[in-house]
Amino acid sequence: MSVLDALSRELGEARVGSSPGMDGRVRPGSGEELAAALRVLAAGGASAVVRGSGSWDALGHPMPRARILLETTGLLGEVQVDGEDGVAHLPAGASVSSLGEHVRKETGGAWELPFDPASSSSTLGGCLATASPGFRFGHPRDVVLGLEIALATGERVRCGGRVVKNVTGYDLAKLYVGSLGTLGVIEAAWIRLLPAPEKTECWWVPLADPSQAVEPARLPSARAAAWLSAGLAREIPKPGAGMILELAGDAPAVAADAEFLGRQYAADPTDPAGLGLVRAMRGKDPGVRVRVSARPSKLKESIAGLSNAGAEILAQPARGLVWAFASDEAVVEVAGSAGDGFLVEAAPLAVRESRELFGENPALRPLQAALKAQYDPAGTLNPGRFAGRI
Amino acid sequence: MTQGERVRPGIGELLGSPADDRRIAFEGAQGISPWQARFILLKGTNPLFRRGRLGKLLRYPRWVATSQHQRNDMGPSSNSSSLEAALRDVVGSDQVLTRPEELFVYEADGLTHHSARPRAVILPATTEEVARVVKACRKHEVPFVPRGAGTGLSGGALALADGVIIECARMNRILRVDPGDRFAVVQPGVVNADLSKAVLQHGLFYAPDPSSQQACTLGGNVAENSGGPHTLKYGTTTNHVLALELVLPDGNVVRLGSPTGWPAGYDLVGAVVGSEGTLGIVTEATVRLTPIPERTETLLGIFPDVVSACRAVGAIIRSGLVPAAMEIVDRRTIEAVEASVYAAGLPTDAGAVLIMELDGPAVAVGVQAERTQALALAEGAREVQVARDEEERQRFWRARKGAFGAMGRLAPDLYVNDAVVPRRKLPEILEAVCAIGDKHGLRLSNVFHAGDGNLHPNISFDRRDADELARVLKAGKEILQLCVEAGGVISGEHGIGTEKRDYMGLLFSDDDLDAMKKLRAAFDPTLTCNPGKLFPTTRFCYEANPKARGYDQVPLG
Ligand SMILES: Cc1cc2nc3c(=O)[nH]c(=O)nc-3n(C[C@H](O)[C@H](O)[C@H](O)COP(=O)(O)OP(=O)(O)OC[C@H]3O[C@@H](n4cnc5c(N)ncnc54)[C@H](O)[C@@H]3O)c2cc1C
Repeated sequence: MSVLDALSRELGEARVGSSPGMDGRVRPGSGEELAAALRVLAAGGASAVVRGSGSWDALGHPMPRARILLETTGLLGEVQVDGEDGVAHLPAGASVSSLGEHVRKETGGAWELPFDPASSSSTLGGCLATASPGFRFGHPRDVVLGLEIALATGERVRCGGRVVKNVTGYDLAKLYVGSLGTLGVIEAAWIRLLPAPEKTECWWVPLADPSQAVEPARLPSARAAAWLSAGLAREIPKPGAGMILELAGDAPAVAADAEFLGRQYAADPTDPAGLGLVRAMRGKDPGVRVRVSARPSKLKESIAGLSNAGAEILAQPARGLVWAFASDEAVVEVAGSAGDGFLVEAAPLAVRESRELFGENPALRPLQAALKAQYDPAGTLNPGRFAGRI
Repeated sequence: MTQGERVRPGIGELLGSPADDRRIAFEGAQGISPWQARFILLKGTNPLFRRGRLGKLLRYPRWVATSQHQRNDMGPSSNSSSLEAALRDVVGSDQVLTRPEELFVYEADGLTHHSARPRAVILPATTEEVARVVKACRKHEVPFVPRGAGTGLSGGALALADGVIIECARMNRILRVDPGDRFAVVQPGVVNADLSKAVLQHGLFYAPDPSSQQACTLGGNVAENSGGPHTLKYGTTTNHVLALELVLPDGNVVRLGSPTGWPAGYDLVGAVVGSEGTLGIVTEATVRLTPIPERTETLLGIFPDVVSACRAVGAIIRSGLVPAAMEIVDRRTIEAVEASVYAAGLPTDAGAVLIMELDGPAVAVGVQAERTQALALAEGAREVQVARDEEERQRFWRARKGAFGAMGRLAPDLYVNDAVVPRRKLPEILEAVCAIGDKHGLRLSNVFHAGDGNLHPNISFDRRDADELARVLKAGKEILQLCVEAGGVISGEHGIGTEKRDYMGLLFSDDDLDAMKKLRAAFDPTLTCNPGKLFPTTRFCYEANPKARGYDQVPLG
């Protein structure tokens, strides 16, 4: 019996279908079904590409061995929003935008779900697996309290919990966030919510020199800050390089920071829709998109190097993050020396086949490989996709 | 007790006595362990106990000179003596402690009723030395345990299985401060509070502030993912560690993470922080520095009972305010504090006090403080005092920070339990916790990180009274069960160590624990790094390595 037949038998025909370029696809409708699907795959020696909404399909090395598409969008289990405690249990397959809306409604607008991905269809599981930084909320790892995970071998496990402070056992959630579906499939998460700000304002700070963007991006009420090179700024539209800055918090703090921006940087209030446009830019795929981590003091140098390689730039100056958008792979070459590390987020197949896309310390490969061997011994999940093609 | 047997003084015996008595106790003690000395240090009024001096005393206690004990050559086997020779070769003879009198001080951490005497204690000074020590231990199949200041409260720094302790105290330099990029690079033996002091001139501080911060080390903080009163707003250690240098259990040295905190591979820094010294020895940490807030307001709410103080915490969280800290001190603790050198002028007829601290931009903090005050009053505070100056602020905090020291007056020993519950359940849980203490006839008091739902039921007891000790342990377990049933967890900041390893099953299934063991196995397949911690002893097995199974099943000494 083929693996697809076995999946149909185990999960029901409705859960299994075809997928272009693959042998087929399976879309489990619950954690139990997910675990059952993984057991079938493991038993049949098959491998799967794990996929949420598909917004990160171009991330990572190609996976020729994986012939089944494992879709997580059916993982729509229990939603529990605890507005008294500011935490929520959320299923991995739901879109972050729908979950955010739900949290807002359930808590009467008092709490926010701290994710703002590039694509509104991004699933929670996808945001966690890619650890993709949004503009407003920093690293997703910092808001994950607990995870429910289906291991590659089909066991359903959990780590962490629902409380806001916890050192009971290893912090496996940290390992899973950013592991790109290579160590297990996230079913659901306990997330720490953030209180909704009293006031929000958007400002445009014209700044040709990105190193000068660090100070305003560090203002106490600065929540989202994106510095744009001239080419990208035009899309908002703004006449030259500068930073779009969202201030959020208590009204007096926002007012004080706004006054400082106007006085010190000749900044102007701007349409908040601009931030939405910038957020969408994060998903832009002009050919090659590379994320470089560059500490604030190295920002200018880093951006200059990437720009010289023909890239347009979007940066979060205070968080030390730079995105370079370019039409060819020359920018990948520069990325290695442009900061403290890099990740090629999107690139044509040939580039993803030929180059290492995860610019991390190669000395860590044996450890990363040992982790993969422990959690996914048969290479069932996204085999070859991650750093060092593990 | 046989002649010559040493008795470690209980914490209370040391903490409850005036400074001079403590010095006498220290110098005259038949035995003392580092946790006790660190507790003394925490009180720290006598210059004799300043750190450098204390470190020396700890290593070479005066009574050693008159000891009847012979040198321990690490046991009779030639394996042991050749290991000893190898270790002396790496760090020099002075930095290898093997005499029973020297080892005695390392046999416990802050969890006084668990103890195990190490085979030897090694004090390396560099990463290279640590790596060579680890390799030597591996070669001789001897387990090793990293240790910082020994203030841990879950037995994490105990050397089980006749292991060797690798103490990081000599690696105590701040290697770099980068105020522009807001990070510092430190060695693991740097004392937590020393880092904040060193960066103060730049308008920065290191945010995680365990109550033991005058003594505990950053290596220990990383291993335990330590929190503190200000975790509520600033997060725990894991939110502040950007990169680590780690000596792996096979002796290889790796660098994890990056100074910006956005690694491209698996988040190994995140996995190592909080791993209780079982995945390797941290020899360097790059940590985030935080700007000192423009303004801080500290409020002291005085409540008729602890339940209404807990309700106020819930109301403040619900309102969307994010105070920097919310800490509750209950009546029994207030009484102990007020009768001690930490007396802060708190009303002893209050059921509880709630310290509320708000910080941030000057324009916002005043309004937030007013809202907080109103919420506390609405929940039944009979009075809310606002600190008028730094001196008064320190006075409010004295009650909190001196609590552990003040407990020393109540009994020779103190069992500090640690669990977390969803914050809205605090009122009912607190009542139930007190009822458990009463049921077992124990002196139970509470001083805790209420804003995080992180309880610390403290039980004052005398470990020489076997019946009382048994009741303490029973109550401890019942409290943990209660917290788990309420949706909570069995440790918020002190870790599992040996203390709670057999309670992990309260929270996790076998499959959950097996998933954690995979992480351990990837880092340390032979389980030689800090064995016997974190996982239940009853069902730990690694088919690949029968010897390792033995290590982890080692009972407490
Ligand atoms: C009075 C008092 C108050 C306390 N208050 C708090 C509090 O508010 N919050 C809190 O979180 N904790 C608190 N603690 C607990 C304790 O101080 C912390 O766990 C602290 O982080 C331990 O640091 P240490 O240097 O003493 O480590 P140790 O006790 O020496 O070791 C603790 C663990 O860390 C490991 N370790 C040490 N160094 C290294 C290293 N270099 N690499 C790898 N592993 C290492 C050890 O193996 C052990 O498992 C308190 C303790 C006391 C006595």
